[in-house]
Amino acid sequence: MSKRRKETGTEARWHGLGVSDGVVVGRVLRVFSGTRQAYRATLNEKDVERETRRLRAAVRLARRQLLAIKARAEKELGADHAYIFDAHLLMLEDRKLLEDVERQIQEERVNAEWAVKVAADRLLAIYAEIKDDYLRERGSDIEDVTQRLLVALSGEGPDNRNLTEDAIIVAEDLLPSAVAELDFEHARAIATDAGGWTSHTAIIARGLGIPAIVGLRDLHRHARTGDTIVVDAQQGIAILHPSSSTLKQYEALTAEALGKRQAVAEDFGKPLHTLDGKEIVLRANVELPAEYEGVRRFGARGIGLYRTEFLLSHKGAMPSEDEQCEAYVEVAQLAGEDGATIRLFDLGGDKVVGAGPENERNPALGLRAIRFSLTHADVLRTQASAILRAAKRGRLDVVLPMISDVMDVRRVRRVFNEERARLEGEGKQTGRVRIGAMIEVPAAVMTADKIAQEVDFFSLGTNDLVQYLLAVDRGNEGVADWFRSLHPAVLQSIHRTLDAARKAFIPAVVCGEMASTPAYVAVLIGLGATDLSMTASSIPRVRHTIEGIKFADAQEIARECLECETANDVEELVRVRFSEKWPQLFPPKSLPARRSAE
Amino acid sequence: MIERRVVVTNRLGLHARAAARLVRTATGYKSALRLERADGTAAADAKSILSVLMLAASRGTELRAVAEGADEKEAMNAVCDLFVNGFGENES
Repeated sequence: MSKRRKETGTEARWHGLGVSDGVVVGRVLRVFSGTRQAYRATLNEKDVERETRRLRAAVRLARRQLLAIKARAEKELGADHAYIFDAHLLMLEDRKLLEDVERQIQEERVNAEWAVKVAADRLLAIYAEIKDDYLRERGSDIEDVTQRLLVALSGEGPDNRNLTEDAIIVAEDLLPSAVAELDFEHARAIATDAGGWTSHTAIIARGLGIPAIVGLRDLHRHARTGDTIVVDAQQGIAILHPSSSTLKQYEALTAEALGKRQAVAEDFGKPLHTLDGKEIVLRANVELPAEYEGVRRFGARGIGLYRTEFLLSHKGAMPSEDEQCEAYVEVAQLAGEDGATIRLFDLGGDKVVGAGPENERNPALGLRAIRFSLTHADVLRTQASAILRAAKRGRLDVVLPMISDVMDVRRVRRVFNEERARLEGEGKQTGRVRIGAMIEVPAAVMTADKIAQEVDFFSLGTNDLVQYLLAVDRGNEGVADWFRSLHPAVLQSIHRTLDAARKAFIPAVVCGEMASTPAYVAVLIGLGATDLSMTASSIPRVRHTIEGIKFADAQEIARECLECETANDVEELVRVRFSEKWPQLFPPKSLPARRSAE
Repeated sequence: MIERRVVVTNRLGLHARAAARLVRTATGYKSALRLERADGTAAADAKSILSVLMLAASRGTELRAVAEGADEKEAMNAVCDLFVNGFGENES
């Protein structure tokens, strides 16, 4: 990933990781995440007092900005991300820092900018010596705060105030404060040098439904505000100074995409059918409150997956029963009559303070998800009571992550029954919840028919299923070639699971990356999936795909896929059959890329 | 002037959030509050976050809290409570 391509003329391409889909042509807005330069100037005696006043005014301005950021972060990103701004506020108000800066101005007779820089450098030098990794990293917070002070001194607003209509944010990395401060109404896309799938940038971009690419290495250094740029998150490519032919190609593409989106927008409320009348339900996956807006905007039929890990504050405290209950009620109300499916904490010991082994040798196979909840009975009981109480005020279901044995389901069900009895004994009202199993471990696929007898529904988590089935860590680039969503074993597992659900007359929702990628969606539908849950912003695209295909055709192609020997064979089959059957729906670049011959 | 021993019990030590809580609490009192590493290698003004972070007090670090002023008892109790409760991070 992130290999710099040779420049052709002035056009230059960067490769990164597309973390939020879409294609946009716009103008660069460079956002600084660090390093605003300060220059030294010597003051006349009489200007010293004025300079001190200028510093204090800048501190007040920076303080107002931070208070606003903190309030916004609390609302949109949760307390988890907001606490850091309280630390920033305290740093800004810290007497040690301000006294040091003022002393510089008064004794050295230097301008405020230089004084801030000297004081900050001095502090950073001390922090650099700290032996504790985490605390040493706090140096970046000091940089964030002093940069803000320097910007305030320059009399400019924050960089991103002057967003134009087609602004594409280009940054080295987006600091938490920069992300929280962005005027998202106008940002069309985000491209950063650093970051990964789970960075702030990625999560927020997906929540807002704007394209984002991370891991672009040194794009920021080469881009200038106002430069024309293409962000093609589908392919993970950023193109600076695109040539006129590149531009024409992309403008046609975005116009087409826009046209499609608008065409689909009108039908958002209506039930969705394939060309031959098979009804398909599309739901939304949510985690952060920042993503709630998309649920309404893109017409999701309820929430198919609510990841509760978000409720945990930064590496720390478990949320109380009341806090959880409020959060679940909010999600239920957002989902409306279609209801929301709450996934119990998908946590490992690494995320919770004081909870078990901190250094498991193999965390993906360790004490995590349902195993963690069953081991920490208080965690499970608190969550169960909160859900049961919230279910009185809205339609909620519960799904258990990482089920590998029916015993796990039985034990959780018992806890829910006991908690319900306890709550009712205390005179508290509870609502009905259905209990489902995440099918994402091979053992669960093999025994899906047995599990189906004891749960009310299945959720297929395709990401973990591929990882566990193929024994490939999807975060490990070294084995990226072995991570094949279209591996015959994956397709057979999905088919088998959907089959078991159908025979037991229980619903099955497919949630995971596969459900949001059009080419995979057509395969999933052919395999028998009728209920998909995805990032809300993918809904229009998936809807468009489904409206353009026949279930019978998808079924026929899926049957052929199941017969394939290798992942390469499946991908080749998909490429050939999709482009002959639905050429307008699947241009070559929307299909799995051809791998180099073995 | 009063003095008490406290131990950092939360897993990440006096990191940004814990330090922020400590400073917010300490600044609510008139008394001067100082934290010293029990081994005498560093001392911090509990009302300055930069100074508190520089203690680099990880989990298990023993500190001496020193309060002096009109409301020293209340200030000391409030600050010690934070340490005892692991800065609210150990509750579930």
